[in-house]
Amino acid sequence: MGPQRRGRIRASPDHRSPSAPSKQPAGKYVELHAHSAYSFLDGASLPAEIATTAAELGYEAFALTDHDNVCGAMEFAQACEGIGIRPISGAELTVTCDAPAALPFHLTLLVEDATGWHNLCRLLTEAHAGTRPRVDSDPLPPSVPLDSLLECNQGLICFSGCARDGAVAGNWERGEARRGESIARSLRASFGRERFRIELQRPLWRRDRARNRRLAELAERLGVATVATGNVHAHDRRRAELLDAFVAVRTHTTLEESEPERRGNSSSVLAPPEEMAARFADHPEAVAETVHMAERLRFDLRRDLGYRYPGSEDPEADGSLAEICRGRLELRYAGTRERPEAERRLQEELRVIRGLGLSGFFLLHFDLLELAREVAAEIRGPDSARRLLPPGRGRGSSVSSVVCYLTGLSHVDPVRAGLFLGRFLNDEIAEMPDIDLDFPRDIREKLIPRVHERYGRERAALVSAFACYRSRGAVRDLGKALGLPPGEIERVAGIVDMHSRGDEVERDIAEAIGAGRAASARWRCAARLAREAWGLPRHASQHPGGMVLSTRPLIDLCPVQPAAMEGRQIVQWDKDSCADAGFLKIDLLGLGMLSAVERCVESIADARGERIDLSRIPLDDPQTFEAIRAAETTGVFQIESRAQMQMLPRSRPETIDDVIVQVALVRPGPIQGGAVHPYLERRRRLREDPDYEVPYEHPSLEPILSDTLGAIVFQDQVIQVAMALAGFSAGEAEGLRRAMSRKRSEAALNAYGERFVAGAVDRGVDRTLAERVFDQVRGFSGFGFPKSHAAAFGLLAYQSTWLRVHYGPELLCALFNEQPMGFYPPDSLAHEAQRRGIEVRGVDANQSAVECTIESRPGEPAVRLGLGYVKGIAEEEARALVAERERGGGYRDLADLASRSGMGRDGLERLAWAGACRSLGVRGGKSARRDELWRLGIARGGRGTNGRDQAQLALPLGLPAPPDLRPLDSWERIVADYASTGITLGEHPIEVMRPDLEPDLAQSDELAVLPDRAEVRMAGLVVARQRPATAKGVVFMLLEDELGVANVIVPPPVYERCRLAVRTASFALVGGRLERHQEVINVVADSVERLAVPDHTAAAIRHIEPPAERETGRDGAVAERELAAVAPAAHSFGRRG
Amino acid sequence: MYRPRPAEVAAGEDGVPRAVGGAAVEAVREDWLVEDRWWTPKPLQRRYFELALADGRNLVVFREPDDGGRWYEQRA
Repeated sequence: MGPQRRGRIRASPDHRSPSAPSKQPAGKYVELHAHSAYSFLDGASLPAEIATTAAELGYEAFALTDHDNVCGAMEFAQACEGIGIRPISGAELTVTCDAPAALPFHLTLLVEDATGWHNLCRLLTEAHAGTRPRVDSDPLPPSVPLDSLLECNQGLICFSGCARDGAVAGNWERGEARRGESIARSLRASFGRERFRIELQRPLWRRDRARNRRLAELAERLGVATVATGNVHAHDRRRAELLDAFVAVRTHTTLEESEPERRGNSSSVLAPPEEMAARFADHPEAVAETVHMAERLRFDLRRDLGYRYPGSEDPEADGSLAEICRGRLELRYAGTRERPEAERRLQEELRVIRGLGLSGFFLLHFDLLELAREVAAEIRGPDSARRLLPPGRGRGSSVSSVVCYLTGLSHVDPVRAGLFLGRFLNDEIAEMPDIDLDFPRDIREKLIPRVHERYGRERAALVSAFACYRSRGAVRDLGKALGLPPGEIERVAGIVDMHSRGDEVERDIAEAIGAGRAASARWRCAARLAREAWGLPRHASQHPGGMVLSTRPLIDLCPVQPAAMEGRQIVQWDKDSCADAGFLKIDLLGLGMLSAVERCVESIADARGERIDLSRIPLDDPQTFEAIRAAETTGVFQIESRAQMQMLPRSRPETIDDVIVQVALVRPGPIQGGAVHPYLERRRRLREDPDYEVPYEHPSLEPILSDTLGAIVFQDQVIQVAMALAGFSAGEAEGLRRAMSRKRSEAALNAYGERFVAGAVDRGVDRTLAERVFDQVRGFSGFGFPKSHAAAFGLLAYQSTWLRVHYGPELLCALFNEQPMGFYPPDSLAHEAQRRGIEVRGVDANQSAVECTIESRPGEPAVRLGLGYVKGIAEEEARALVAERERGGGYRDLADLASRSGMGRDGLERLAWAGACRSLGVRGGKSARRDELWRLGIARGGRGTNGRDQAQLALPLGLPAPPDLRPLDSWERIVADYASTGITLGEHPIEVMRPDLEPDLAQSDELAVLPDRAEVRMAGLVVARQRPATAKGVVFMLLEDELGVANVIVPPPVYERCRLAVRTASFALVGGRLERHQEVINVVADSVERLAVPDHTAAAIRHIEPPAERETGRDGAVAERELAAVAPAAHSFGRRG
Repeated sequence: MYRPRPAEVAAGEDGVPRAVGGAAVEAVREDWLVEDRWWTPKPLQRRYFELALADGRNLVVFREPDDGGRWYEQRA
């Protein structure tokens, strides 16, 4: 509806005789056909929105029947908890029959009992089985043959389908009345008259009454009952427009063009039961039937799923697990002082595990890890330096378990590290413990399909993750649906913050295209639609590594469908739904830094012949800790972020334990829980006065919080606090942790708050104090690391810093090869490394490998960029070039390269433009790249008329010398570097701009000597910008100039004023005030401007230019725009999820 | 010739026509709702009724709430 329309036309009741309207008693209608947004672009509300609204409208039971999936079924069932609605599960299934030219049709299936659920899951699995014949294209629409459904009908109730596409009504619509009736007869025969119904709908279309009369007549002939359904697609009127727009998105058309596919009105918005009953006044028996049906549909996903984790049926499991653990305990703890404690903990853990029947679960993990070991050995090879490394590392709470340590699931000794077991395992856990395993990316890639193989494709699958609309995607999709000009859409999409909330879109639009355009009817619609779409799932994809394993075929429990990546399959539930189902989930996570440290260790061995065993490096290396305290941590794990670097000089870590706290401290939980400042302050007091006594809120908290100086930093401390202060049992405390960590549990958290305070008061704790502690707990709200997780991460942070300190070039090289990862773009990593004296060499056709490499001669080890960094060059081309060089020797000159490398003209030009042909040119110096491009034009012949390369190879003749071409100036070189490799290694762009900038700008190295509160103006390349959700609208920017980086804090009023520059400028000019706090220096901005770039070079660049620009054609843009277009995008962070 | 003409419709409280041009409504054969073009400056919203009148005529009437609730008729 347009905004100018306020009134709502309610669907009026049916009237055969207007003088005698029939009425149904209120509450006598149950909705048995409804779609959520999990019908992907054919539903516009979240399951929870539907459940809540249905409860408000007075529904007592409600069925969710998404298209060909049950992705939202568990979420819906959980959302119904405690609001008086009984959830019913089902799906609208797309079915095909083998009659010639027959189109697929829809049937509504509802689950009566557990057998029905299994059958539904099997049918949905079958529907998706063939949807990914090609890995690189969109999936085909799912469907099952009618025969499968007829066979698999036990426990299911079948309705004849919707008004438009239903088996009967849809076939009538298409003029296939006989086919519709014959399908109905088949369904009647298979399901029987008890479980087959003719479905009546009132979409408020012109032929509704006639169609329903005809359907009712058919029902009578078949001897089955009719049932009324609403075919709900949205919970609220506001979403009706979005439904229309989604039709256009789905059909890749505009709203105008999608008219035939659209519904034509808003009748699919959820209406009160009385209104629904009134719509079917002609068919009161169909309305009554909804209630009868609902009475029979008693299957409840929260209760009746019947999942058992693998191994739970093995009677030998307890003994086997104990045996493995005892054997390994002998090895690991022989002769140590931890041995008695380790034995005690092992006994205790084995007892708990036995009690919970989880021995099989641990054996399975053990087995899985052995599998990982095999895969790792295959990938690394017998001689690799990496063979010393474990195949993966545990993270998360499992690290606290001695059983996990002994079975190899974790590499952290929990006894030595003093880790608390409670969260992972206790006598009353309601949810399977999670086991998270981090693997280097290459091992993980191979391991996942291997797990599918080992446990069978029916028993192992990845967890789903649903891609949800954020503002940028919504503007793109919905703008297109509205037929808005693509140029405008891209301008808006370009400035919409990835993480900005829906309510900010309107302002973004006005900034991008001007207030006038933004006020047009269509752009106003776009803004409104984008706001409504925010957070709705758009399609299913795979979770990064969560796997579900099952003893029973998974496809009896949850449908399984192929993922986009070949050889992988996903269940239709996300991690929360899997957890609600109690599924055993293992996270096999790919961690870029693990891959990077592995590569680093390998290249150290290659370049220096040194074998590093990272598990044996000293954990008290003074140089490493000096670097950490000085925040010299660019590129290392976790403690490289802006926030971490700001804190390190204040927290001054001195031990690995300090690093572990540090890693956990910069998380939303501790930040919102108010842990950061007390921790930093108490550390400072302790440094100044070793006798300083750390204050604790209550004496009972001292043993729990002593490691973190009285602050709640780790997630498990929340559990311990709840147990110590409020007397929670381990299970209750774990329930509290769960309530904090999930998105759908505000009410649960409040309930825990009351119990917490009451429990504490019972134990004689002052009420105000108890409330204050609970506030800290609530502020923590789950987004924190358990200590065990922090221990695993802290160790990796330390190890990577150690590598940075002692093997800088190798770590840098590894980071280049593992991109994208970490906080800084490669260009910044390179500049920072150059500033500390590490040589980074450009791409060179005679020196570079495909990947970046270490060159140990001449001189100190240096990093050589790989051919893979040249944009637009295919990996096979680069490999062929290197292979030919290895076979036939180095390339003598350009002609030799052109004839032997097998590289096309486009690739050769890209190499030349990247400066990779330097060693082949006649002249070096600044005109080299132009010369090479000029000569290549001759070497490879002209371009064909179709713009493609001519197929014939040029003869390897000597090439004439180029004419006297104007050399590239510095700016052109930078543009060429950024356009070709994304990394510029010569003069810094700011250095080049410097002569044209205001003379009294500060440079980054001056900030250290300027007095506190000094006025300062500086210019820089924007390396990162961050708008953390925890920072109340403050934006942080990292500016880089030729001498280093500077932190800029943009307060909200300044952000409001300079939003566009803050969010989009590649180069910025910042004015503000210097702020010095202990060792930390920031510039607090009062102005941020886009830095104007001198355009004196603009015309020249067009003379000879790289292929991409030539093909797209340029319009004489100024140099700034050229550079802005190619400059490495600043990493933007914050407001995730 | 398909252009809608203003019609004199007496409707009940529920919005359903009871009489058109003095002729009583014998039966509502169909009723439907069209909502479209909401993204343009001229959105469309119409409630239609296909009626059988006591005088034997069949016709379609509709109204648009944004149009002051006036009724129009067109051929069935």
